[in-house]
Amino acid sequence: MQTVMTQDVGVNDLPWKIDYHPERCTMCGSCVASCSFKAIKVGVQRRDMTVSVENQPKPLKRHEARPVIQQVASLTDYCRGCGICEKVCPNQAIKPVRNPDTRKTLLSKDHGPIKRGGRTNLNAQRALDTIVVGRISQMTDPSLDAARHTFDMRAPFGRVLSAKELPFKVENGRLVQAGHTPPVHWIYPLIFSDMSIGALSTRAWEAVAMAVGYLNEHYHIPVRMSSGEGGMPVKLLESDYLKYFIIQIASGHFGWNRIIKAMPHMVTDPAGILIKIGQGAKPGDGGLLPEAKVAEHVQAIRGVPKATLASPPNHQGLYSIEESVQKMHLSMNAAFGFRVPVAIKCAASATSVSVYNNLLRDPYHICGGFFIDGIQGGTGAANEVSLDHTGHPVVSKIRDCYLAAVKQGRQGQIPLYGGGGIGMTGDAAADAFKMMCLGANGVFCGKFLIQLLGCVGNEQGRCNACNTGKCPMGICSQDPRLVKRLDVDRGAQKIVDYVLTFDTELKKLMAPIGNSSLPIGRSDALVSTDKAVADRLGIQYVC
Amino acid sequence: MFKMETMKGHDRMSTQDLLLAIGDAVQNGETEFEIAASGQHDIGGPLWNKDGKPLHFHVTNPGQRVGSMCMPNTEIFVDGSASADVGWLNSGGIITVTGDAGDTAGHCSSGGKIYIGGRGGTRTGSLMKHDPLYEEPELWILKNVGSFSFEFMGGGRAVICGVDSEAFDTVLGERPCVGMVGGVVYVRGEVPALPADIQKLPLEQEDIEFLAGGMETFLEKVRRPELLDALSDWSEWQKLRPLTAAEKKPKPLPDLKSFRLREWVKGGIFSDVAHDDFAVHPTLNTGLYRLRVPSWDNAKYAAPCEFNCPTGIPTQRRYDLIRLGKTDEAIQLELDYTPFPGSVCGSVCPNPCMDACTRGGIDEPIQIGPLGYLSAFAKVEPPKEHTGKKIAVIGGGVAGLSTAWQLARKGHTVTVYDEAAHIGGKLEQVIPRGRLSHELLEAELKRIEGVGVKFVPDCKVDKAKFAELQQECDAVVVATGGTKSRYFNWEGVERLTMGLEYLKAINRGEHPATGKHVVVIGAGNSGMDTCRGAYEMGAETVVAVDVQKPAAFQKEIDYIEGLGGKLVWPFFTTKITAEGVYGNDGRFIPADQVIVSIGEAPELDFLPDDERIKKFRDTWLIPDANQSILPGVFTAGDTIKPGRLTDAIGSGRKAAWAVEQYLAGTDEPFPQKQRIPADRLATAYFERCHHCELCDPVDDHTRCVSCGTCRDCKMCLESCPQKAITRVEKEDGSWEYQSDPNRCIGCGICAGVCPCGVWTIQDNPEPIKMYSTGQKA
Repeated sequence: MQTVMTQDVGVNDLPWKIDYHPERCTMCGSCVASCSFKAIKVGVQRRDMTVSVENQPKPLKRHEARPVIQQVASLTDYCRGCGICEKVCPNQAIKPVRNPDTRKTLLSKDHGPIKRGGRTNLNAQRALDTIVVGRISQMTDPSLDAARHTFDMRAPFGRVLSAKELPFKVENGRLVQAGHTPPVHWIYPLIFSDMSIGALSTRAWEAVAMAVGYLNEHYHIPVRMSSGEGGMPVKLLESDYLKYFIIQIASGHFGWNRIIKAMPHMVTDPAGILIKIGQGAKPGDGGLLPEAKVAEHVQAIRGVPKATLASPPNHQGLYSIEESVQKMHLSMNAAFGFRVPVAIKCAASATSVSVYNNLLRDPYHICGGFFIDGIQGGTGAANEVSLDHTGHPVVSKIRDCYLAAVKQGRQGQIPLYGGGGIGMTGDAAADAFKMMCLGANGVFCGKFLIQLLGCVGNEQGRCNACNTGKCPMGICSQDPRLVKRLDVDRGAQKIVDYVLTFDTELKKLMAPIGNSSLPIGRSDALVSTDKAVADRLGIQYVC
Repeated sequence: MFKMETMKGHDRMSTQDLLLAIGDAVQNGETEFEIAASGQHDIGGPLWNKDGKPLHFHVTNPGQRVGSMCMPNTEIFVDGSASADVGWLNSGGIITVTGDAGDTAGHCSSGGKIYIGGRGGTRTGSLMKHDPLYEEPELWILKNVGSFSFEFMGGGRAVICGVDSEAFDTVLGERPCVGMVGGVVYVRGEVPALPADIQKLPLEQEDIEFLAGGMETFLEKVRRPELLDALSDWSEWQKLRPLTAAEKKPKPLPDLKSFRLREWVKGGIFSDVAHDDFAVHPTLNTGLYRLRVPSWDNAKYAAPCEFNCPTGIPTQRRYDLIRLGKTDEAIQLELDYTPFPGSVCGSVCPNPCMDACTRGGIDEPIQIGPLGYLSAFAKVEPPKEHTGKKIAVIGGGVAGLSTAWQLARKGHTVTVYDEAAHIGGKLEQVIPRGRLSHELLEAELKRIEGVGVKFVPDCKVDKAKFAELQQECDAVVVATGGTKSRYFNWEGVERLTMGLEYLKAINRGEHPATGKHVVVIGAGNSGMDTCRGAYEMGAETVVAVDVQKPAAFQKEIDYIEGLGGKLVWPFFTTKITAEGVYGNDGRFIPADQVIVSIGEAPELDFLPDDERIKKFRDTWLIPDANQSILPGVFTAGDTIKPGRLTDAIGSGRKAAWAVEQYLAGTDEPFPQKQRIPADRLATAYFERCHHCELCDPVDDHTRCVSCGTCRDCKMCLESCPQKAITRVEKEDGSWEYQSDPNRCIGCGICAGVCPCGVWTIQDNPEPIKMYSTGQKA
């Protein structure tokens, strides 16, 4: 007789239920030993039964007790659906199954807002998926051969001056430069974005960084990676690979002590600076790094004790767009002798166009890019209410900003980069292509990179435990026992391979519309099967 | 000779009419054609003479695709320039254009020769092919070509002589040879950037022979023989050819591991702060890298019986000893905790241990009370050594005797003072003899004396005596209990009989005055004892009233009700008269005697007037955590708060512990264990017994779960998938289970299958030194 109270938490209250087949289980212990969430345990089941096996009722008591795997009914140690148990089970005896009747969100508010990582789980629908490349060259004009043609795949990163602003003068019949011009780097239109040291394990961060190094060195694909707001590895700062990395400064200014100290030892300039104002996953909230992940190296690089690190929601010295340009852009430009482009990243918002217009009016020409991060961006940790209920889709915002610039004849002067959900369905190239047709100069992405490393999290509530430090793949954890599960080389290889295919796929989309350079603003190439999306973006509605 | 002037005045002959006329002429055997064209397409092919004679065309001003699908044995001479697609799909003809060719000259030609005496347009030579059954196509250009030349070229030879091309950056235009997979392009002049799969090479002998062999003919055809010398300086020539498929097989790039080791930042970018060997671990590990580790926490937790027993008797340990055949040790173990296993555990104790027993959740609780009775008459050896420390215990009730028993067995000299004639407190004076065998009680009291406790009855301790004892003894224990019946200030209280005195009188054999109709106020256990006494003294009816649900044990209530007694509650007494008792709701219960039995309060006027002695409601002592009320003065039992007999025994044990600490000058707290959480136990192993088929209490070791204490069943040892667990037996017969870290993966099966909750699986506490703060540059 077991005492169960109706208000006790049961496994049916949890988001995932363990589907267990004891008849296939040999109690090898693999699943329980591998589960980093302690969501399953070993128990003993009573299998007593009074049966009758004669030709008339004759009670025969059978007693058996057998060990089984049981799901833990807990709101803290609960199954995240990562499926490690299923992966390691030699007999297909166990797997997590999504529970549509979960009451977890409702019941888990006892200790303040629910925290989790991953992407929004409520607003995962994307305008990009209603858009197709619908204007294909079919006798109207020559298309290109994606496999054999040469393509110019580079995007500007830095402030591009209009022709009349270029400081040229004629000297002895020759055109010579008469003054400083803002630095512009021509980079790949895919930027690896903003996953901090701390949010990621050392191995995961290194795997992404290595892929960047490899793609540049061996394939000459100029992808760049943004550091995130947790600082930079000193060894990287002091290496020649620094030129492939964009250093981020966010409201917490974490990691800048070591960056500044490394300056005299730098052998090259970084690829750029990215000022993070906000992020799409949790606009209005600053960065968040739960205590469990603040390991010794994170404490050191960031200069903080072991504690939950909440960055302020805004830069504390900045009170307006103008001030941000004057102070922050200026300081970051000055830090590297005005040789390194400085861009700014904001969460997509109803106000994005105003911000962009302001940046475009910047008389100093020191804003080298505007990054807009949409609601489907990922994060290592956030309040769930922010993830699911705040944010703004990025697509219309990129479009609006681009058109605002076009209206002023200033398109391309401050390159636009869009992110947040890029690659969510697996085809980042298609997303990038569409974003560029709508006006982006390039895209930035994070989540799918860690998915390539092995992350199984998704926007249907799978895993999303990045905040716990218990990442079963060792990607979003600082626990050496988990971190050591991650194969840096294999992970980096997976990213390299993906980007190579991304490159081919992007050409496969550029060729049919006859572009041998990036299709910035080629919105004529897109059609939408959704009338509202088509109208909003000013593209053809088709059915 | 077929001659055709395609313009007649303002009338132009259509391509169709011209081609049909030429076709008819060929059919009729004509082989020589002279055509003054005016832009007509496709002149010159595909045509053939049925007798295999060669066809010759002399053309001026042709339109696009002159020499289209031109056949072997056809030669076309264009005097001047031609429009686009010269020699389109040429399969063998010799086509000469003395001037410039338009775009896409030689497009898709797979045979024959095309000679251009000027420039070629954009995409010249694209998709040329070579069918190995036939000669390869040739395309000779005297000057240069436009952009995208030789795209997707699959075979044949093209010759770009670069004459008169100095004004151009390159002689091949921009982006030549994209997608070129076969054939050769010979170039004299500037070559632009080439795709990665196109090689630019110097000429070899075979190339020179080809060029030298064809150059003179070419120059004659385009009427520029004077250039032969200038174009024969082979050092000015280069050839372009695509990598073969085999050559194009990408050279294996370093894999990422080699990249990391040879090219990437040495040791990794985090090598200053993360000490990582980059070894990749599977999800299952042994030793240091296990996520969790087991520990064999035998007897770490209290069994529920032990925890719920105020005396603290670990019944599971007694059954473990019995299971090992050590029944005598099991019996002695009980006596380490209580001097009254028979009188209390086995007789009057309500056995809260059994209420908590895990087995009660399976079928019936283990029969712990009867087990206790087994120790009732067991002998206990007196201590072999004496400490010489003197301790006075004031009060010979269970609390005092429990304290005395514990201390005497440690070798101290203990004297118990009591004002009554017989030592034993409530057991002796109050508990009805029907509930407790007097012989048993006396035997147990004797056993206490047997370990060296000195009883001093008939000794009322007053202030002076207390001071004397304090002076003489190393420690004093105040255990005088509750001695004064409590009651409230009801109307007519003077009519009350005091329950405690009433029961004492009965046990003294005095037959106190008893009415026919008795009301007992208070329906707790002492109330039931009072009812029992009243019946024994001849009462006809007895009614017990209480303000709340009676707190007495069901067994006692059942007994009284069995005698005809009634329990009335809630009943708030307001008045007692000669006729009976009135309640606040107007109820009246007739009675000729009303006995109050709602508990007793201590009488402590023998204690010194010392403000350090704290009291609750000016009645009960509030001792310090170690049960002391003054330095060297301790208390136990009902002087602190009213409780059951087992509470008093437990309180006595704690006081004895405190006295020991005091005497030794130490301050160890009384050992107390946490109750084992129920979810650590695996009760499914135990088959349910029918309550009618319970075994002898001694044999209950089969039913005892042994909560928190290893029952040596070996389930862990046999279930461990890694065979990591071994059983180690020690010299004294005790044992230990050990898990080998080098085999264990931390699955926790041991913890899951352990019936007793002995194994714990917990996060691996061993730190891994992977991260650090790094070092200054």
